[in-house]
Amino acid sequence: MARTGPHGRAERRSAGELESEVLAALWATDEALTPADIQGEIGGNLAYNTVHTILKRLYDKGLVLRDVDGRRGAYRPAKNAAELTAQAMHEALDRGPDPIAALQQFVTGLSPQEEEALRDLLRGSGT
Amino acid sequence: MRVDVYIPLILPLLLTAVASQVGLKVSPALAARVLTIAAVLAATASTWALLLLAATLVNEAPHVATEAGEDGRRLPDPVPVAIAVAAIMLLWLIGFRLVRALRAHYATRRVLERLCEGHPPDSELIVAASSTPRAFAIPGTPGRILVTAAMLGALEPAERRVLLAHERAHLAHRHSVLSTAVTLAAAANPVLAPVRTTVAFLVERWADEEAARRVGDRRTTARALARAALVAQRARPGCALSFSEHAVTRRIAALQTAPLPNLWSIGVAVLALGALPAFGALDATGDLLRLLGESLPG
Repeated sequence: MARTGPHGRAERRSAGELESEVLAALWATDEALTPADIQGEIGGNLAYNTVHTILKRLYDKGLVLRDVDGRRGAYRPAKNAAELTAQAMHEALDRGPDPIAALQQFVTGLSPQEEEALRDLLRGSGT
Repeated sequence: MRVDVYIPLILPLLLTAVASQVGLKVSPALAARVLTIAAVLAATASTWALLLLAATLVNEAPHVATEAGEDGRRLPDPVPVAIAVAAIMLLWLIGFRLVRALRAHYATRRVLERLCEGHPPDSELIVAASSTPRAFAIPGTPGRILVTAAMLGALEPAERRVLLAHERAHLAHRHSVLSTAVTLAAAANPVLAPVRTTVAFLVERWADEEAARRVGDRRTTARALARAALVAQRARPGCALSFSEHAVTRRIAALQTAPLPNLWSIGVAVLALGALPAFGALDATGDLLRLLGESLPG
């Protein structure tokens, strides 16, 4: 089953894609998240057990840590590799012509008028 | 030879003239593909045509001229010497530009390899613990997605899915190959630079459409782009560097209308614009070989 529903409901996500989404959710907040928090956050009728399995896999890879001082069963993202990557990225950016500019960037710059228009767009449809 | 050899030098101008219009009428997936193929064909043909023009200088070589004089043959003179000399200088310039483009390409590759260090090879998402909001796809096998913590923190959960789906589309459809190909084409023939800009825009549009399809919602996709662009702008105010012709606004506007159709008639016409210079160059090659046969005895 590749797609669901004629009205463009979301497609099924693979295990690798779900791993990325769980990791992204953990990085998006400063708080530690429990599997239930994550389940609520990424939605899509994801079973609790599935979230748990994904967290276990991320833990085995060393990408997430169990929260020691917070809530029981909550997870935080592991920072080490991410900090090294950030350092390497900033070194590359500071070194002169941006080598990353040649890549497909998610977004590019805006003019002041465009900024205003985009703010209206986000306000207009209710955040 | 007299006319054919100039066709590949003129036609890329036409391709450049229609490129952005094609992007407005045809689905980005088709438009990006045909424009890239046509640009590569056109750049190869124009470079080859310059090589042919330069090769006509062989008639000026002293021993060829002397031998022909002794045999009482009259040498054909298909191209003025000044044009042949200009062609040689342009070929030097092209060589320099290609080397520079390839160097930049490999420099970027090395930086990307460093960014992936320390992350498990089988995980798709690489997070950089940085307060600069950025997101991009890292091509390779397997491809990876790099997103900074600042970018993830700025987006709503559904918008994060859009971001990941967008970058995944770049990787799945090998957009880096298209981008490298059209970059080299523009290096070999600077007239094609606007085609390169158009293709760069179209692969973003392509990934947006794919993300909208995966997430199942064009509006959320547009909102994700708007929010990411605003937060990225806040991090580098007044930075005109990556302004790139209202690209984000145009992408958002495109998501607010229906997807464009795969108009194959236009696609084929674009391919023809790439194929014609190639045929011109081939024909001129035949002519030159015949001329050389006449010039060089034995």
